[in-house]
Amino acid sequence: MRVQVRSVDNVTIVDCAGEIDLYSSTRLREALLKALRSGIPSVLVNMEEVTYIDSSGIATLVEGLQLSQQTKTRLGLYGLRNNARSVLELARLHKVFNIFQHEQEALEKIPSTRPFEGP
Amino acid sequence: MKITISSEPRLLHILRGVVRWRAEQSGFLSSDVESLALAIDEAVSNVIRHTYLSRPDGKVSLEIRSFSDRLEFVLEDSGPKVKREDIRPRSLDEVRPGGLGTLFINCFIDESFYEGERVEGNRLRMVKYLPGRAASSDEGAGQERG
Repeated sequence: MRVQVRSVDNVTIVDCAGEIDLYSSTRLREALLKALRSGIPSVLVNMEEVTYIDSSGIATLVEGLQLSQQTKTRLGLYGLRNNARSVLELARLHKVFNIFQHEQEALEKIPSTRPFEGP
Repeated sequence: MKITISSEPRLLHILRGVVRWRAEQSGFLSSDVESLALAIDEAVSNVIRHTYLSRPDGKVSLEIRSFSDRLEFVLEDSGPKVKREDIRPRSLDEVRPGGLGTLFINCFIDESFYEGERVEGNRLRMVKYLPGRAASSDEGAGQERG
């Protein structure tokens, strides 16, 4: 799995590629939590190239969501493939995340969303 | 087919690959293949985290048995006995990390049994039926393909 971080305007984008499991989710966790603590107003996780995600990957995203509540950061996901969307729906988490189709939509809409305020 | 790995998370992808390959060979739909890979991954991850407490020196064995109507996955470890009452998915009303692995296993596996005859360790048997093949009350139904 590869994780890279870039900035577009006032948004930090965490690009993920490959399979997110118990082993590789630590890399996503490190990058995501660092971005959320950086003071930037919005963070997006690009999942276009994520081919697999297990419960540890989902747990990492939820941990990010909880941190975003504390840091008042807007957090969004985009580019979810069917399998990632399915596991989020199964866990009933698809309604608590800001989920966008693609990067352009995410960059346009994330500034107008509200930071997570709890379930 | 039986594979034994050490309890290292970096090796999980190997088991997923084998599960996908075996499920494809057996005729499962591509969506079921991915669901099966996830369910077995979660079961092995649970062993690594909760039975071996993330120590990498444990052993985890996965046997895949192919029948005409189903696949059976037998997962064995040498760790402390699992208390079955401790294995349950968390409430979906909560938004917190963790507790989803058991949910995914329960959703994607048709039947699962902890088999208690082992003196040491745990033996979890998970069954997935091929599309259109209903679970039979006779566990021996279906001819093993080897």
